Amino acid sequence: MVSLELLRRGFATVLTGYNIVALVLGSFFGIIVGAIPGLTATMGIALLVPFTFGMNPITGIVMLLGIYTGAIYGGGIASILIKTPGTPAAAATTFDGYPMAQKGLAGKAIGMATVASGIGGTFTALCLTFFAPILANFALRFSAPEYFALAVFGLSVTVTLAGKSPLKGFISGALGLLIAMIGLDPMGGFPRFTFGFPEMTGGFAFVPMLIGLFALSEGFRQVEVVLTAPKVDAVLKDILPKLRELRECAVTIVRSCMIGLIVGITPAIGAETSCFVSYAEAKRTSKHPEKFGTGILEGVAAPQCAENASTGGDLLPMLTLGLPGDAATAVLMGALTIHNLQPGPLLFRDHPDLVHEIFAGMITANIVFVILGLTFARFFARVININRRYLIPLIFIFCMVGSYAIDNTLFDLATAVVFGFLGYLMMRYGYPVSPMVLAQILGAMMESNFRRSMAMSRGDPLIFVTRPIALTILVLAAFTTIVAIRRQRRVLQQEAALATAAAASGSRVVE
Amino acid sequence: MATPSMKKADILAALLLVPICLYVFYESSRWPIPALLGNPLLIPRGVAVCLLAAAGMLLYRAVTGRALPLEKRLQGADLRRVSGVAILTFAYVFAVERIGFIVTTFLFLLLFGLVLGERRWVRLAVFAVVVPIAVYAIFDTTLHVPLPRGWLW
Repeated sequence: MVSLELLRRGFATVLTGYNIVALVLGSFFGIIVGAIPGLTATMGIALLVPFTFGMNPITGIVMLLGIYTGAIYGGGIASILIKTPGTPAAAATTFDGYPMAQKGLAGKAIGMATVASGIGGTFTALCLTFFAPILANFALRFSAPEYFALAVFGLSVTVTLAGKSPLKGFISGALGLLIAMIGLDPMGGFPRFTFGFPEMTGGFAFVPMLIGLFALSEGFRQVEVVLTAPKVDAVLKDILPKLRELRECAVTIVRSCMIGLIVGITPAIGAETSCFVSYAEAKRTSKHPEKFGTGILEGVAAPQCAENASTGGDLLPMLTLGLPGDAATAVLMGALTIHNLQPGPLLFRDHPDLVHEIFAGMITANIVFVILGLTFARFFARVININRRYLIPLIFIFCMVGSYAIDNTLFDLATAVVFGFLGYLMMRYGYPVSPMVLAQILGAMMESNFRRSMAMSRGDPLIFVTRPIALTILVLAAFTTIVAIRRQRRVLQQEAALATAAAASGSRVVE
Repeated sequence: MATPSMKKADILAALLLVPICLYVFYESSRWPIPALLGNPLLIPRGVAVCLLAAAGMLLYRAVTGRALPLEKRLQGADLRRVSGVAILTFAYVFAVERIGFIVTTFLFLLLFGLVLGERRWVRLAVFAVVVPIAVYAIFDTTLHVPLPRGWLW
């Protein structure tokens, strides 16, 4: 159970000195990252991880939580003002946000987006605070076979649900598993796949790889596709929502909170899915569904609330089981391990004070971005116009400095650049990057726990089916994989039918 | 207008995956198998077999015309920008420890801006001078994270 005394002390720590300054700065930076189309929350966290090296763990963690929550919220600003989602998750906000801006109600839309995001985020942070200790307590019963099953579950869900093609998701994940094996064997201690490089004995450093795959790769993509963003010319007024408007959206907000939380907890699907599901539900249950899409506040509140409500759900399996649900939480997990904190049930047992500080930080971060969002709305709107010819080189420099700064080795810098270019090519040719990163984390967990299980059972693989929890998780993994593959097959059949129709009407597909 | 597909890229990727998988088998054949610590070959070889099967499927889908459509072909000015930035970035890795952070970063930012089409020289030069100095001040002086010095600066 959550300890209210530890939570009170957690708030006291978060709200004092450098911690609150770091949180506010992180949140401010996060909103900027979110507001600029093309930059994602994952990229923002990866970029700022190196800045947290010199900080004490909680200062660094609350700063990253500020970036995470701020960037998820900030994505809605560009959706409303220029009909281009700042982050992929904010696409559903364009449906009603942009029509509101066209009617001269951009300020109202941004105000409602901010408050709804704040309510969703705070609700989910409270749920995280109360449910995480219970789940962590239950997970203390897990042994090697259960952790192996969990890693298999995480991998199967991630691989099959990420991207358009499960096959390419699988290839990305399998390559990630092979990369995770580089270095010393977890049980025998002999070197594997090091190609004679002493720097590779410990495997590739995780943070430079993250910076490469999530930040530099995005930088390369920006070089290719986005050189100019549409100019923002909207005048923002009436930003603070009125009580009457909030009452009108109350039911939608409550429903979106629940949708966001449930979708967030499910591995591999996060903010993007929750926004669309929430928008669709708000429209389906509305007394006036025909007004959706014409610029109404409920159409802005639903996706924005669900978007931030998924953040706590995403953090829940990462903190309690060491199982990151999506790319952003994988980067956060990497940041925690840099500070010698290994997410999982033992974190709750060994560092309960720190865990409660993280809960307090998460709740505070959701309040801070609301205050910043309402106060500096006009500034964040102008940030969208930033000149890409200066922003992109700046991103590259921060990526490279951050990678070098970890261990002051050129090898880490080269790692970031090579993985950055690889990530760019992967994105370009339809290979999702997140399975590769998640496989790095889950691969190590899977292999070491598999070997431990086999040692425990003296080589008998039946150990995985004779333990009820492990068996249940493995059955769930198999079920999810089958469902995902069937769903993908249906999508491919539909695409084939469309292609046939297109071919019949004269267009053709070339290599 | 013809729609480009990922056919060639998929065939190339599948062909690249085969030697990777074969190398896993080759290298793992030289590993010791410690008693009572679980077989170290099982997972790497299992992953390699699955990856090989996936490569086969990718190849099959590509040659039977079931490759996914490509959003946009990389050509012309886009290709020049991406290749230019890639060359600059890899060159930066080779040069930064030899020449030094501030000078290398100045040159990198200047050339990067030009590759992206910036022609306002004064503004670009000010940017290329201010950023390395500011980053150096933040990391090296404030956060005490040493940056490469090299033979110049």
